[in-house]
Amino acid sequence: MTLTLAIDTSTSRTIVGIIDGDNILFEKFHEGTTDHGRALSQLVAEALKVSHPPKQVVVGMGPGPFTGLRVGISFAHTFGLARTIPVIGVCSLDAIAIEESEYTVAIDARRKEIYWARYKDGVRIEGPAVSKPAEVDGFIIDHYPDMKKLVSLATSQNVTEPMYLRRPDAVPTAERR
Amino acid sequence: MQPIVLGIETSCDETAIGIVRGRTLLANVIASSVDEHARFGGVVPEIASRAHLEAMLPSIQRALTDAKVSLSDIDAIAVTAGPGLVGALLVGVASASGLAQGLGRPLYGVNHLAAHVSVDYLTHDQPTDPTIALLVSGGHSSLLQVDDITGSITKLGATMDDAAGEAFDKIARILDLSFPGGPAIDREAVSGSASAIDFPRGLTTSNDWATRPYDFSFSGLKTAVARYLEGTPSFLRADVAASFQEAIVDVLLLKALAACKSTGIDSLVIAGGVAANSRLRAVATERCEQAGIALRIPTPALCTDNGAMVASLGSLMVSAGRPATKGAFDADSSLKVEQVSL
Repeated sequence: MTLTLAIDTSTSRTIVGIIDGDNILFEKFHEGTTDHGRALSQLVAEALKVSHPPKQVVVGMGPGPFTGLRVGISFAHTFGLARTIPVIGVCSLDAIAIEESEYTVAIDARRKEIYWARYKDGVRIEGPAVSKPAEVDGFIIDHYPDMKKLVSLATSQNVTEPMYLRRPDAVPTAERR
Repeated sequence: MQPIVLGIETSCDETAIGIVRGRTLLANVIASSVDEHARFGGVVPEIASRAHLEAMLPSIQRALTDAKVSLSDIDAIAVTAGPGLVGALLVGVASASGLAQGLGRPLYGVNHLAAHVSVDYLTHDQPTDPTIALLVSGGHSSLLQVDDITGSITKLGATMDDAAGEAFDKIARILDLSFPGGPAIDREAVSGSASAIDFPRGLTTSNDWATRPYDFSFSGLKTAVARYLEGTPSFLRADVAASFQEAIVDVLLLKALAACKSTGIDSLVIAGGVAANSRLRAVATERCEQAGIALRIPTPALCTDNGAMVASLGSLMVSAGRPATKGAFDADSSLKVEQVSL
């Protein structure tokens, strides 16, 4: 298996891991909705000290609150460029590990909404989407992407665009008048 | 050997990468999302941030091609750490951190305002400091005393309300001119009379000169223009544009030259997007010549936000032996100009 630097900043946590197949060589997270930038840089510096140079980067592409999400993706992109190693994007919700055959996971999307997706037998069958909690049945919240699962997704997907799922808030001048 | 420094600027709506070797400009790549903001009449932070992420890698790669260097040749990375839009800044800082850690090179988090002034060093052999700097853009209007561009900057004054460029945008909007307003008013003013309407010069009463000589205020001017338009249905747009522009240019230079005089510093750098304004450049040239002040205004392409200015400041810091930023850092949207680097 490929020695992988794994990064996810789609939730309130900044998560960094170094994974070699089934072996987790490094895994740490920092909790803080506005700390992704500083935390990511610190955690990666720590991670690189305990490992040989990674051969690929796997990064969570969301969905997640935009500002934090972009920190992880931006960092992953330029780190990959600098090392000339591949950067593979995956859906962060897919990396939340739940030991059930059928489940719905959700994370806080702020503004009283959630990002969510539904799974059956390990396959995403609905979502990712952003909705009011009342509109989604029986979701599991407060779980976070699992580094091993995040890396394993890289063999089957490559998400190239951030999963914003919302358009930027802005009203054209013409409509404001 | 002169250091090769790559600079990243994302404080507003330009994703900009510059590469310098010492004080020689090698590449200056700018991807702007300005067209996406035009229909909103101003920069929408989330649109700008998304555009930064999209444009980052292609811009870095183009800058490397233009500079004919490879990433492994880069000795240091510099990035705008603030001030600016926080979400936009964060894309730049995270990209710079990834690059610096990936390459194992030092990272300098630098001040956007100081970088604007430092870009002048790319076009002159002689050191610019000490100098007075007039920094005028869509987000900032300040008058600075620069004793050492890598570490000692004093703010003499700043705008108390709108930035000069912001005033241009707002007046352009009420005159039905395009966004951004600076270039639009500059063009419109060419066929108008600068002395047609006597618009007010903010903060220039004798009391203002005694208490806040180097501060600016443009909100009164904005109101005066709006009132004039209401009361003059047959107004000539070119005259309004020219007279408004004249009022801004006049007050900016009155205060900048007063700062030179009172500090005894006979050098003035004008930087920031508004420094691309043709009337400001012309009147500044004239008045500085009369006053015996050495005037420096970067080329228009280096006045607006760009990466070369960030690379330039980074390179000056490396050459001055200043330490790189220690450890991880966050963007600081309200970074004070006195703090040249983190």
